[in-house]
Amino acid sequence: MTGNATTVAPIRATVHRLGDEVSTDIHCSAKYNMGKSVQWLAEHAFEQLQPGFAQRVRPGDVIVAGKDFGINSSREQAVHVLRAMGVSAVVAQSFGRQFYRNAINNGLPIAECDVSKIKDGDTIEVDVAAGRIAVPGSGFSAEVPKLPPAVLALIAAGGLLPFLKQHPDWALPTA
Amino acid sequence: MGHTLAEKILGARSGGAPVNAGDVVVARVDFAMVHDARAANALKAVATLGFDELPNAARTAFVLDHFSPPPSREAANVHADMREFCERTGAVIYDVGDGICHQVLPENGHFTAGDLVVGTDTHSTTYGAFNAYGTGHEGTDVAAILATGRTWFRVPETLRVELTGRLGPGVWAKDVTLAMLGRLGAEGANFKVIEYTGSAVAAMAIDDRMTLSNHAAELGAEAAILECDDKTVAWLAAHGAQAPRPVVADADARYADRFTIDATTLAPKVAHNHDIGDVVDVSALAGQPVHVGLIGTCTNGRLDDIRQAASMLKGRKIAKGVRLVVTPASRAIYLAAMREGLFEILTEAGASVDAAGCGTCVGITHKLMSADRERVISSANRNFKGRLGNPESEILIASSATVAASALTGRVTDPREFAFDIRSAA
Ligand code: SF4
Repeated sequence: MTGNATTVAPIRATVHRLGDEVSTDIHCSAKYNMGKSVQWLAEHAFEQLQPGFAQRVRPGDVIVAGKDFGINSSREQAVHVLRAMGVSAVVAQSFGRQFYRNAINNGLPIAECDVSKIKDGDTIEVDVAAGRIAVPGSGFSAEVPKLPPAVLALIAAGGLLPFLKQHPDWALPTA
Repeated sequence: MGHTLAEKILGARSGGAPVNAGDVVVARVDFAMVHDARAANALKAVATLGFDELPNAARTAFVLDHFSPPPSREAANVHADMREFCERTGAVIYDVGDGICHQVLPENGHFTAGDLVVGTDTHSTTYGAFNAYGTGHEGTDVAAILATGRTWFRVPETLRVELTGRLGPGVWAKDVTLAMLGRLGAEGANFKVIEYTGSAVAAMAIDDRMTLSNHAAELGAEAAILECDDKTVAWLAAHGAQAPRPVVADADARYADRFTIDATTLAPKVAHNHDIGDVVDVSALAGQPVHVGLIGTCTNGRLDDIRQAASMLKGRKIAKGVRLVVTPASRAIYLAAMREGLFEILTEAGASVDAAGCGTCVGITHKLMSADRERVISSANRNFKGRLGNPESEILIASSATVAASALTGRVTDPREFAFDIRSAA
């Protein structure tokens, strides 16, 4: 994910489905689990919503959620936990505003899409650079707003801090 | 096509011309803030970046407010790291007891109308009360701002709300926001900027306007920006801010939605059921017993809140068994309330006064634990289960006036039952 990549490669992986308004503060960070390590959280993330959720996630898998994934104050650590779980992308109907930033700032690809036809266990294709989400098994395919080049550049660099190390002058591609 | 306040401020800070909702821009940030609960993360990000120079340090404040005073060794160590960082880099520091970040930034003139302000806290929307774009980001963003003076933004859509008429006595900006939460639900304006306008906003004192912008965080707002008027300009000047650069939305700006709320008919509101979006008129809960009252926090810990409470508690006693805690939002407010004799009135009435800071807003300091099956009525902003440390205790959210009235009777009480009007004093 680091280096001089300028675009974000397509992902093909298994879907783990969550519902609407999942608060990453509550289910995926130490905000209400004081003193817990990222590794501990990665083993217990979302278990109050779905027992055994974290154990089912394999490296490279994708979380698909409903509306406002990551609402509330949403700590940056939630993205670190998703990373530690091996999650390669999150697709949701919509995101909490701060989760959206935290994902991009930490190099996690995200996409906003109508998720009503995407089911747990589906094999999903996520191409944030081309703006396409598909589930070949069910024939579902959707065009989604392409992430702006500037956002793709941040994700491709592995996040905001690695990006700034390479480009302290903020030389972002323009739309 | 015209532009919203957010499109104009982000445009001015990223090249000059107004930008459009959906654009991604890199914008120059006028002032940044890091508080103690997020400082460890922010300082780690600064270290990861590893830049020799932090040219924006002098325009960044570190505020020791959440753990104030620190309840644990870990919190005290974070404070020590923050002091060391500020000493080394020239960043501004507000130490224990100076007050809550969202109060000390405007009080110390750190930004002005037209500015872009980023803090590591959701309620950084407060700065919108001064016609500035104030928003909450995480430590990584503030590290970028410290090192480069800039960060990126996805320009949000805007919701325009006109508050017509005028709030009646005993009804406050808190009740307006609770009405908004009842209408849109918690996070119902996720990622949007809210522009509040209209005669009821114009009539509000600055303290109440700050509540309006602050509490928009519970609506999920990216910012809540008010217009700049004579009151704004006078307040900024009195607090040593740079000359304001007022920003005005265009009449033909494009909004995601717009609607009107008639302020004149609004009644005091209460959020209950551990859901800030579950809002009813105070009459619906009137008579329910309350055991703990909190007046304070960045939402309602300002001088006008303390004046409201004092005007109602003067010469009276709070109900037997009720604990009422008042936490001024800043040292300046603490001093002003003391000089006005408000603390004498409150203390005689049976309340206790806490040092300035976040105080009892959040359970992390374990400063005021309520018992199982007790009901807390608080002027704070959040009431999810366990916010104050005991998940077996119910939390109601209401205005300071409603909290004071309820502490007096020991039951949820409409503040309009007590004749008072502090607006003339405000
Ligand atoms: S007063 Fe409460 S809501 Fe405000 S900054 Fe402090 S902890 Fe957060």
